[in-house]
Amino acid sequence: MEKKKKIVIIEDEVILRETLQDFLEKEDFDVDSAADGEAGVEMVMRKNPDLVLLDIILPKKNGYEVITELRENQTTKDVPIILLTNLGSIRDIEKALALGATTYLVKADYQLKEIVEKIKGVLEM
Amino acid sequence: MKIVNDLNIRKQADELGVSIWQAPSFLFLLMGIIVVVAMTVVYFASMNYGSPEILIFSEFAVVIIIFTIGTFIIRNVEYMAAANKIKSEFISMASHQLKTPIAELSWASELLISKYKKGLGKKQLDLIGEISKANAHMSRLVGDLLDVARLDRGALLLAQDKINIVNIVKEVHEADLPLATAMGVKVDVIIPGSLPEIIADKRRIKVAIDNLISNAIKYTADGGYVEVRLEKDGDKINFCVKDNGIGIPEKQQDKVFEKFFRSDNSAKYKIEGTGLGLYIVKNYVEQSGGKIWFKSIENVGSSFCFSLPIVNKK
Repeated sequence: MEKKKKIVIIEDEVILRETLQDFLEKEDFDVDSAADGEAGVEMVMRKNPDLVLLDIILPKKNGYEVITELRENQTTKDVPIILLTNLGSIRDIEKALALGATTYLVKADYQLKEIVEKIKGVLEM
Repeated sequence: MKIVNDLNIRKQADELGVSIWQAPSFLFLLMGIIVVVAMTVVYFASMNYGSPEILIFSEFAVVIIIFTIGTFIIRNVEYMAAANKIKSEFISMASHQLKTPIAELSWASELLISKYKKGLGKKQLDLIGEISKANAHMSRLVGDLLDVARLDRGALLLAQDKINIVNIVKEVHEADLPLATAMGVKVDVIIPGSLPEIIADKRRIKVAIDNLISNAIKYTADGGYVEVRLEKDGDKINFCVKDNGIGIPEKQQDKVFEKFFRSDNSAKYKIEGTGLGLYIVKNYVEQSGGKIWFKSIENVGSSFCFSLPIVNKK
């Protein structure tokens, strides 16, 4: 059997984090999550996941800082990052993409199963 | 008629939500009267006294009066602009705060249905379905409000997605079928097999198409007919929705794309809506480099169309 794909979620809103983690586990992903940017960076470095789901507005380190740090590190410089935005403001998205995020989605506009499709698209599953 | 309306200062002040003293037309009228009076005084003063000092002094007095009133007008305009900005920022902020709970509701109910539905009966599942539907509706309303606030600030930026408009029309048509069935309206879709991809904001073009189709359905009586047509027209793609519904009264037709406009017929037939739909559609289409137009005859029907460039030059 193929190994489960590893995902790290960095999201401070507890309900969003837990529902997303629960759903992705049901979809057979190996999921870990962090509630702030600092813990998130640390977790990604340690777990070396196949993909990161990242909120922008986070305590301690915001999403942009997280992207920058991950991109500067040798082990995580290529990990795909899907940005979870709240408003879908083009300015925020462009900034994140310029820093090295792979793609983005607007949380309130996406159903969980659409997020899974997006993840599978990025992971070419 | 327009002039009489402009002179109705009390009405204007009420509409703007300011006191009469702050209404721009009152201040301009006052300034006009003062200028006329001042000129007359200067004229008589120069006739009777003939001294250059008096003349200079009275001219100076007039300038001071005009300057004072002018300052007052500018201050009021600034005050109104600031109030408008605060309102717009408030809408943005409130919508932003609403987005998180909307996402939470949406994901939690989806998780419940897909993973934890064991033991739930049909009634419970139906109710969860209703919650999800209402939440999706709320999400759309909040999205509309956010975009209106962005338009007010001139800050609406559109995404540049590669879109397949044929698929979008099919998706929207499918999503609107329950509404059509409930309203007893037949919807026909006439689309070519494929069209060139265009560059536009996918989510917002979808909203534009959905607004036009669902409007046509809502404003068409039971047993009515809606035709959705998509076609290539040179270097453009034309999208049209035609209905044989209640139409828009002729005297209101120039207001159709205004913010918060609701036709008299929407009240008469108790059709729900915010009056933001067409305003948003027009802005989405025009900012995507397209054009929008419509024809409507009361009690005969309406047709709303827009065109989008295949190669977006914007």
